[in-house]
Amino acid sequence: MNNIVTVNQVTKTYGGQNEKTYQALKGISFDVQKGEFVGIMGASGSGKTTLLNILSTLDTASSGQVTIDNQEITQLKGNELADFRAKEIGFIFQDFNLLENLTARENIALPLSLQNVPASKINPAVAKIAQRLAITEILDNYPTQISGGQKQRVAAARALVSEPAILFGDEPTGALDSKSARDLLETMDDLNKNDQVSILLVTHDPFSASYCQRILFIKDGVISTQLQRGNQDRPTFYQEILTTLGTFEQ
Amino acid sequence: MLIKLALNGIKSRWKDYLVLFSGLVIASAIFYMFEALATNQNFIKQNTTISAAVIIFQLGSILLAIITLVYILYANSFLMTMRQRTYATYMMLGAKSGKIGQLIFMETLIIGVVATLIGIVVGTGLAYGVGTLLMQRMGGAIHSFQPLYPLAVFITLAFFMVLFLIAAIINRRQLLKQPILKLLHSSNTPTAIKHRPVVWLIEAIVGVLLLATGYWAMVHLGVLGLVLALVTIVLGSYFVFNALAIWVLSLLRNAKLASKGLNKFTIAQLTFRIHDYTRLLSMVSILFALALGAITVGMGYYNQIPLMADNAPDAYDAVVYNPTQAELRTINDLHVKSRSQYTFKTTSGAVYWNRSEFDKDPLLMVDPERSGLGDVTYVKADVAKMANPDTNEYLRLRDILLPDMRQRDSKVVTAAEFNRVGGPSYQVTALKVQNFRNDLPTIKALFNSQAKRFPQIKQDDGSYKYAFYTQLNGLFSGLEFMGFFLGIAFLAMLASCLMFKILSGAANDVQRYRMLRKVGARQKLLHQAIRREVGVLFLLPGILGVIHVLFGLRMFQAIMVQPYYKIWIPFSIFLVLYALYYLITTYLYRNIVLRK
Repeated sequence: MNNIVTVNQVTKTYGGQNEKTYQALKGISFDVQKGEFVGIMGASGSGKTTLLNILSTLDTASSGQVTIDNQEITQLKGNELADFRAKEIGFIFQDFNLLENLTARENIALPLSLQNVPASKINPAVAKIAQRLAITEILDNYPTQISGGQKQRVAAARALVSEPAILFGDEPTGALDSKSARDLLETMDDLNKNDQVSILLVTHDPFSASYCQRILFIKDGVISTQLQRGNQDRPTFYQEILTTLGTFEQ
Repeated sequence: MLIKLALNGIKSRWKDYLVLFSGLVIASAIFYMFEALATNQNFIKQNTTISAAVIIFQLGSILLAIITLVYILYANSFLMTMRQRTYATYMMLGAKSGKIGQLIFMETLIIGVVATLIGIVVGTGLAYGVGTLLMQRMGGAIHSFQPLYPLAVFITLAFFMVLFLIAAIINRRQLLKQPILKLLHSSNTPTAIKHRPVVWLIEAIVGVLLLATGYWAMVHLGVLGLVLALVTIVLGSYFVFNALAIWVLSLLRNAKLASKGLNKFTIAQLTFRIHDYTRLLSMVSILFALALGAITVGMGYYNQIPLMADNAPDAYDAVVYNPTQAELRTINDLHVKSRSQYTFKTTSGAVYWNRSEFDKDPLLMVDPERSGLGDVTYVKADVAKMANPDTNEYLRLRDILLPDMRQRDSKVVTAAEFNRVGGPSYQVTALKVQNFRNDLPTIKALFNSQAKRFPQIKQDDGSYKYAFYTQLNGLFSGLEFMGFFLGIAFLAMLASCLMFKILSGAANDVQRYRMLRKVGARQKLLHQAIRREVGVLFLLPGILGVIHVLFGLRMFQAIMVQPYYKIWIPFSIFLVLYALYYLITTYLYRNIVLRK
């Protein structure tokens, strides 16, 4: 098996010794293969965000192991964690999280600057990913000067410029209009199919989820159901997701 | 309910209020100290030497009052910006604007009263300490000094209450003028700065020219120049920050180094901030100059006391009559440069001097024609003129007599005649030392011992250098202390203004730093970025302020001997304090933006 992400019996408990504790994740296990496009769905409070925070090393698991690109991330500390985030994972968020005082170009170059990549190598890398995401024209604009869809493309470019092992999306279409959302999802699909970018997408939106090849449904801190798209076309898969969600919510 | 809300408001913004608070406490403490020193009636009556210092302290408190008013208005406007969202929420929930007005009023007043009261307590301690120090230096009696002086308490309270009332009224008006929606959604996004190299270049040149005009006017145009300088320097500082600093940053942004680590982010942050802070930074640079200038001039005056004492008509550092064995030993402790010995005899109507002694070792006197501050020329007295009452020589000879004998006729006679004169004989030892201030304790001991043996010395002690020095010391120690404490008060206010502005923007930076962490910036790099960003914001007005002071000091050349003498001492003291504020700001800012 060629796993890019392996999650094994991960739990997360909030609250200290003398406080009321709450278990957000109750021993969750799954894996993502290289080049796969996986979705994670669940209602709010199901543990989606906790899981994503642990995967992206922003939070630590109470127990269990997480391996990304053959590295056990629960053992990483301090600078190793920061470097791991900069090199191995790309992130796109619902609210873009662009630095509004930097131009699009500077935003995209940031992860490379952080890794002290020489300036002579940064420019071509930015140009290449910008062209791939069709944002070359707006590179010298500030985030306030471009549309939401363009912002998310810039964010995607920033996430991908360091060629990470996996791209995490946290409701990336949440703040976009339907046209921009569709554009972004198609771009992600394209990156996945043609550039073999592995993607893990957290969403509660069935339409976004329908672009995935496999969907994991989280409920009360464990994976309750799994859907495979297989050879279905997207609209059919979308219907299946809706049906599953319907029964899932009961 | 209103009081509860007001107190809650203060509690929730405690850290921000603390900054304002500390600035206010320091301002009111120093104001109180000045007042306590200036109004203590018994103290002033018992120490005549301090009366000059009193005027200086009054002057100091007026200066302080003006700056404090500006500070309070400024600081309060920051607080309002931070609080406006809360107020808007109250209004949206249906609070009447009148009620909000009362709330603001109350918050401002509570802070004001508490800060002033604490300031008075701190000020009492300060006044006691400074009073003791002053008295030690002037050899006066401290026991008549009451550090907690009701009149001073009253003046301080009344003055600050008026200030806060004004601030409260202005706060209230400003907030209620704005529409609720604007208050709720005050935009956090930085405005992108347009790239306008030509405009920047013109602004930068104008700025530098304005500064140069101001510096020139201060030195060459007197009081009128000072007014002109105030205007041009304020404007000049503004342009320099608005154009020069941003222009340099935009150059840096495209430099190769910028693509390393978080440099680009820091430059972008700074560009935005300096653009946004232009007015504040110019004000801070002026305040910085005032503070540093006050400390430097205060200390400078103190340094020049010996130089002024040198300019006294009397050339000798100490004059000793009929020295005892003990006094001779004391003289041996001095670092003597020259030692002359003369003898005189007194009869009921006249004083006789032995001319041969002056022929061998002429009397030294200050040449009034060729002497200025810090540049004293000594000449040898012409023996022939010493007996003529119309000459300077006669007067100087008289000066080394005991005061009660000075009304008698001075006669300079040959050795043979001198030997024939009857009556008591005195020996005068006139001493010059290498460094007056270094030998001061010994000179003081000598003076006191002499004053005990010859009580008449006290009748006209101004003619002895030690006594003259003590009087000058009273005046200039007052100036030094005032300069120093005014400087500290200004510094506290300027630093807290800067702190305020930086901290009030910190909430918007939280998101940015959180994002940088997500993208994989190392913790160390984030800390470094914060240190640099805050550092530059402190450094820029600091550098400009230092330049202001260096030029401004030339203005004092007319009334000070060497305004630049030992300038590193006040500069280092000031910079250490300023650096301390920088460290505190960095710490607070880091805690806000990197909070997990």
